[in-house]
Amino acid sequence: MVFLIGESPMVEELGEQCARVGYTITVKFNRPLQKEKLPPLLRSSSTIPRGTALAIELTNTDKEKKKKNILLLEKSLPGHTVILSSSVTVTATEQASWLKSPERLMGLSALPTLLSQQLLEVAPTVNTSTKTVSTIKNFLERLGKETAVVQDRIGMVLPRILCMLVNEASFAVMENAAPPRDIDTAMKLGTNYPLGPIEWADKIGIQQVFSVLESLHQDLGEERYRIAPLVRQMAAGKRWWST
Amino acid sequence: MATIGIVGAGTMGGGIAHVAALSGFNVLLHDISTDVLNRALQRISTDLQKGIEKGKISAENVEQTKQRIRSTSTFDDFSPCNLVVEAAVEKLDVKKNIFSELEQRCLPDAILATNTSSLSVTAIASSVKNAERVVGMHFFNPPHLMKLVEIVRGQKSSDETIRKTIDLAKQLGKTPVLVNDTPGFIVNRCARPFYGEALRILGEGIASVEDIDRIVRLEGGFKMGPFELMDLIGIDVNFAVTKSIYEQTFGEPRYRPHVIQQAMVNAGYLGRKAKQGFYKYEL
Ligand SMILES: NC(=O)c1ccc[n+]([C@@H]2O[C@H](COP(=O)([O-])OP(=O)(O)OC[C@H]3O[C@@H](n4cnc5c(N)ncnc54)[C@H](O)[C@@H]3O)[C@@H](O)[C@H]2O)c1
Repeated sequence: MVFLIGESPMVEELGEQCARVGYTITVKFNRPLQKEKLPPLLRSSSTIPRGTALAIELTNTDKEKKKKNILLLEKSLPGHTVILSSSVTVTATEQASWLKSPERLMGLSALPTLLSQQLLEVAPTVNTSTKTVSTIKNFLERLGKETAVVQDRIGMVLPRILCMLVNEASFAVMENAAPPRDIDTAMKLGTNYPLGPIEWADKIGIQQVFSVLESLHQDLGEERYRIAPLVRQMAAGKRWWST
Repeated sequence: MATIGIVGAGTMGGGIAHVAALSGFNVLLHDISTDVLNRALQRISTDLQKGIEKGKISAENVEQTKQRIRSTSTFDDFSPCNLVVEAAVEKLDVKKNIFSELEQRCLPDAILATNTSSLSVTAIASSVKNAERVVGMHFFNPPHLMKLVEIVRGQKSSDETIRKTIDLAKQLGKTPVLVNDTPGFIVNRCARPFYGEALRILGEGIASVEDIDRIVRLEGGFKMGPFELMDLIGIDVNFAVTKSIYEQTFGEPRYRPHVIQQAMVNAGYLGRKAKQGFYKYEL
């Protein structure tokens, strides 16, 4: 039995994949989802089922809420229950420091739509136990995923690269180098990217992108990670080009 | 049919001549070296031959295409050209000399385009009296296969020049994208983080070369990872692009090159062409 807690649409995205390979799934959203929007394979509950063998926390844009969720998991589940938690905007190490038993937690590269890809990154901390690592690897294997173990750093690998591609394209738009759609066309035809940077932001969600960039900037403290004002505004306005 | 002049018959010039002739234009292909010209004609012939084998083009069409290309090592015959694409070495003074020469040889309404990938089109245009006729026409390698052409609007390029150049790119079967004359245009600029962040991630010990490439391919859906791609492009070439954009933006930190790039170039590990880059390649 797997329990997922956090942000839509990541909870549905990963939850459905788990349900399809036979896991019993219970979910809880940070903000209640309309009933008709909940995929049929998922059951939503405000309490955490006793028999939960693996808990997954998927919140990137709200650190306070994330901490609340992690502490709720600790309070509701026995000390040995493993927690897999998105560590794109808060390191797994920092999250583990909130816990009495830090060995149970491991980080995951979770961003909307990337969760459906063939490979996911995981980040153990110095405290993560081998049992936690093997439980999570078995789980991801059953989902049919490959895994790559990376160091526990903000943005991990792909989220950092992708969000910085979006940031650069946003500066280019602001500076009037070319309009957004043309940038996408140029990147797809000129470099063979599967999607243009604006389309990526569209799929992942501009608020998610903004959170990753903001965390990178805070963590590394370099001007290199300065956020394009356009990204900041779009995130605040909750809109991106296609919406 | 219109005539297109091409200056410089190297990797890009030869490829552009191929595309132009195949699209039905008469082509005047120029280089200072007759050796280069002969090699270019040979390569166009080989590439067209591959087209026959793949059933993309008839033998008859190949013959006609080849006959539309004339090679020359002087500028004497450039007067009938409606448009000239300059694809000589990436040096500002060389390009400026070529443009002032072209201005004297071509009709006043001929468009003068440069295939530069990193120099300012506006700076190149400063060498001619009427800068309105100058534009960037940035093809991608190999030009006969890559669909994209960045049409670069210099500070002084006229709307008519832009419109005609876009039309021409379409006649060549390309997808033109208009961009203002800014460092790196669109593609070279917007691709910087793909390499720059990957190098940072490697340098900070977050993941290995192999893992970063695998992650980018399988989690991101990219056809190639950043290190595989740097090896293909040439680590020195990619390093030069980064440095050029960094310098043109007066040291914008987003474009700062990485010490790993310098170290690879120092070691001669330039990528596939050197049989070693981030990966080793069989001889
Ligand atoms: N190689 C690429 O991937 C690529 C892609 C896009 C644009 N470009 C740009 O295209 C241009 C050419 O690049 P390339 O890779 O074909 O280089 P190259 O070295 O293969 O070819 C350059 C050619 O220019 C000739 N040349 C030098 N001085 C000349 C002169 N004064 N007059 C006439 N010809 C002269 C040389 O003999 C050589 O054959 C450069 O501006 C480059 O930035 C290159």
